[in-house]
Amino acid sequence: MKVTYNWLKEYVDFDLSPDQLADLLTMLGLEVEAMDRLGEGFDDVVVALVEEKRQHPNADKLSLCRVNNGSEVLDVVCGAQNFKQGDMVALAQIGAVLPGDFKIKKSKIRGEESCGMLCSEKELGLADESAGIMILPGSGMVLGTPLFSALGLKDTLFEIGLTPNRADCLSAVGIAREIAAKLGLQVRYPDSAVVEGGEPVESVIGVVVEAADLCPRYAARFISGCKILPSPDWLVKRLNAIGIRSINNVVDITNLVMMELGQPLHAFDCDRLSGKRIVVRRAGEGEPFITLDGQQRALVSDDLVICDAERPVALAGVMGGLNSEIENTTTCILLESACFKPAAVRKTSKRLGLHTESSHRFERGIDIGGVARALDRAAALIVELAGGTMARGALDVYPGKCEPVSIPFRPERANSLIGVDLAREEILDILTRLECRIIEGAAGIVQVEPPSYRIDIEREIDLIEEVARLNGFDRIPASMPIARITSDRPSRHQQLEKRVRNILVDHGMNEIINFSFTDPGSAGKLMLCEDDPRRNAIRLSNPLVDEQSVMRTTLLPGLLETVARNINFRSLDLSLFEMRRVYMPSAGDDMPTEPIFIVGAMTGSRDGDGWSRPNESVDFYDAKGVVEALLELIGVKGASWLSDSVEPYYHPGKSCRIMAGRDQIGSVGEIHPTVQENFGIEKQVFCFELDFEKLLKNSKTGTSITAPSRFPDSTRDIAMLVPDSLQSDKVVECIKGVKAKEIEQIQIFDVYRGKGIPDGHASIAIRIRYRSYERTLTDDEINSIHKKITDSLINKLQVTLR
Amino acid sequence: MREQLEKLKNETLTSIKSAGNVELLQDIRVRMLGRKGELTALMKGLGALSADERPIVGQLVNNVRDEIESALEAALAAAREQAKAERLKSERIDVTLPGRHASSGSKHPVSLIIEEVCEIFAGLGFAVAEGPEIEHDWYNFEALNFPPEHPARDMQDTFFVENNMLLRTHTSPVQIRTMLKQKPPLRIIAPGTVYRCDSDATHSPMFHQIEGLMVDSGITFGDLKGILTVFTNQLFGQKTGVRLRPSFFPFTEPSAEVDIACVICGGKGCRVCKNSGWLEILGAGMVDPEVYRHVNYDAENISGFAFGMGIERIAMLKYGINDMRLLFENDVRFLRQF
Repeated sequence: MKVTYNWLKEYVDFDLSPDQLADLLTMLGLEVEAMDRLGEGFDDVVVALVEEKRQHPNADKLSLCRVNNGSEVLDVVCGAQNFKQGDMVALAQIGAVLPGDFKIKKSKIRGEESCGMLCSEKELGLADESAGIMILPGSGMVLGTPLFSALGLKDTLFEIGLTPNRADCLSAVGIAREIAAKLGLQVRYPDSAVVEGGEPVESVIGVVVEAADLCPRYAARFISGCKILPSPDWLVKRLNAIGIRSINNVVDITNLVMMELGQPLHAFDCDRLSGKRIVVRRAGEGEPFITLDGQQRALVSDDLVICDAERPVALAGVMGGLNSEIENTTTCILLESACFKPAAVRKTSKRLGLHTESSHRFERGIDIGGVARALDRAAALIVELAGGTMARGALDVYPGKCEPVSIPFRPERANSLIGVDLAREEILDILTRLECRIIEGAAGIVQVEPPSYRIDIEREIDLIEEVARLNGFDRIPASMPIARITSDRPSRHQQLEKRVRNILVDHGMNEIINFSFTDPGSAGKLMLCEDDPRRNAIRLSNPLVDEQSVMRTTLLPGLLETVARNINFRSLDLSLFEMRRVYMPSAGDDMPTEPIFIVGAMTGSRDGDGWSRPNESVDFYDAKGVVEALLELIGVKGASWLSDSVEPYYHPGKSCRIMAGRDQIGSVGEIHPTVQENFGIEKQVFCFELDFEKLLKNSKTGTSITAPSRFPDSTRDIAMLVPDSLQSDKVVECIKGVKAKEIEQIQIFDVYRGKGIPDGHASIAIRIRYRSYERTLTDDEINSIHKKITDSLINKLQVTLR
Repeated sequence: MREQLEKLKNETLTSIKSAGNVELLQDIRVRMLGRKGELTALMKGLGALSADERPIVGQLVNNVRDEIESALEAALAAAREQAKAERLKSERIDVTLPGRHASSGSKHPVSLIIEEVCEIFAGLGFAVAEGPEIEHDWYNFEALNFPPEHPARDMQDTFFVENNMLLRTHTSPVQIRTMLKQKPPLRIIAPGTVYRCDSDATHSPMFHQIEGLMVDSGITFGDLKGILTVFTNQLFGQKTGVRLRPSFFPFTEPSAEVDIACVICGGKGCRVCKNSGWLEILGAGMVDPEVYRHVNYDAENISGFAFGMGIERIAMLKYGINDMRLLFENDVRFLRQF
């Protein structure tokens, strides 16, 4: 909503600067989002009097003037001829900056000193062309007054961001009412007295409202013998100031009154209406209609239309029709002022994507009690500016006259909810200033009738809000609530989420957040099987772009895209993770599920380039290592790593499922080279994926410790040659299978392939630490257990000891 | 024998004195006192003496040995000290070379703000609550007093999904879900992801909010002001100016926008605060009775407030991020700064 300072002053006598006014409005809930000071920076162009004018001694076309600016008389050289001694003129004084960054300086022109410049309207940016300098009307102008103030052009434009509940403030008068209520002043409504003549309106035209449920009030006046002309200067300027283009006098008046009183109006060329009849009805399904903007529209039966005897002539509350538009030749005008149901206007305007100043107001609700005032105001202005005769009387179909609502109100309830201690009189005074009617009732309850334009006030709480608002939020003391203690320890879920994030960060990973919606093609990029449930993603009905049109079922595509993007920016060593929800559809009407997953990716060199260690690339075991650390730290014990049937997006030989008990808690592996290519990544990436709910289920919090043994340990190493088909966990299991309680620790300390080792084999070295809880073990005892172990490895696994 | 001993002793003590390092001293020990040492050999020779002489000479040998031993010990200790001093003097490393550690990770700024806000409210007794992101219209709009076809719905452009469901446009449905499950007293804080279908330099189709709700008996608008003042002071620093101004949300009444004094210019006016000196960071208000009606609370006997804030907005202010897109581009050069 746009309104200017000077305009508001016409309706209420406030004594505030533009800045103070902006602050007052903002603190009333009418947020001033922008201010534009019109005529700012022109304070050095002032009203001045030409006291003397004579010929320049050295130039035929110049004159020398003595100009009085109210405080001194200055010499000014001027080239214009259209003025005489005694004229009031616009003097740009030294220091003034005119449009085009033209600075006025003291100068010598042909040997004569000039202390300023007499300006034309063009030079001041007030006109496109001007014949000579600007001659001011003079009367009532004080010498030395800044020109824009003297001309009334100095103004401030406010752009106010209105909340949808304040339909009453979609007008200059509405905003003035708020200022008046806050300051305890009176509002002057614009003049709406009409001069009628000629025949009674009923004899000219009739109105039938068929869809009374969508149109509770329809009023109109008829004016004949008008002349469509350009609008007068004041009207053009007023509309221009708030960004509305001038069309002609009649259309401009309907716009002015709408901006003034908030009532959208529509003027029909009455001669173009057939049958001298207005019918307000629902449109026929598919009924065609061309709106003012020249667009052909297909209507539906929910649309409300204004029709003449034959066809629609306006889309009620949204836009008029081309077929009854005011033209330069129009002489008879039917002026409509009506009230349409907000929901109906909204539906039509939304469906057609046709948002107008009119629909904006009807959608939010207009003042049904103000329909006639706006009609009279506009009709009177039309007669004033376009001439003609207004028919006697107004048509006004208003069957169910709206009675004011009466709201029971407890002033003490206002105090207790707001947290203030206002006197009853103060509270009631606030409501009175808002033009509410107060009727004292029994037992301290008052009945409050809000004015008809405050359609947002329906309940006691609405009145309480008004009291808080007008009294000022800044006058409410801040207090701390008195509350009962409740037990609110974070849930295990919340604790674990935080813990996992901390652990991954402490392991050098950077957390990322990607959008929850993704490209429908990403399932294919991951090479998911056709029947994979992750291909069945929830679709958005109205996505912004196709690449963000389905809810993600896996976090991997986003993660791999992030890897690719960072590599493109030459960040080559990456260790990223994301912990977020995925979205899985449910059968039938059940809510979708939103399980949390954790994914991680690593690529590049292990610790970045360093001076102290060889520069090595990360591999499978770095990704696995982070997962192992995580599982250990959150108490998921006994995980197993199965290399069978893993996800299609991994390298089949370098990936595994991770099991905890019977639950598959996730997977880890090198990304399949094809998937890597699909995401535009040129180097190996190692990823893991964990199911948060399953981690939570398998995470055991309690610990029971075993006291350390007080006896010395002893270690024995075994080196063996194993075929690649034999995985190390089988070797360790075999050793554990000997079931000697003296085995304290089994550690794989070397795996070697290469020189001296046959192809398809590895040399694995294992250190076993022996210790007893009861005594110091003898060499014989240890050797005997150790032999059992080596025998078992040889017999059961057929390994070759080295 | 006596002279022999005396001579041995003097020679040894002299060589101890002149030895100067640990290795030579160890050699002397071995040469004199080792199993095949000279003094040991003398001891062995005692057996050849008469029974009268033996204890006297034995005593003598012992004395000499003690004397040599203690001289050796002293010289060794001195030599060790000397060696240590030399080591400390000669060994020097470049302490400015980087140390060895795994590179540091980082939490996403959105996570950091959520953690911080939740922590501040945990200190005020607010429990964390959560809810689904794919929501029913009833929880996201209707129960929050947004009637169908109401212009207030325009404030929040909505993404729809199949089955008449939508992506929640705010975290406020968590209020409804919590109140339907629990009776007052209630203090919750609900962080979460929300969606609106617009996208430009200042809007992202996905962003994050934190919702707060307190319902009990006798809660006032002044209490809301108090809690939010404490909160903003903790988040942005003590004495951050706070301003509440009237606004509108369908589910609160009275409703307020909460501004803090601009953290960039301190309230003097700058580009970030559009010269107003204030930054809008929160929406808040007293829970509307219509909301209580939907969750079967008795609005006559309880009262409460709700508030909500955008995490990205707070992150941008707190970390001086000037482009919202940085938050979701996941450029590690950005992420590693947190």
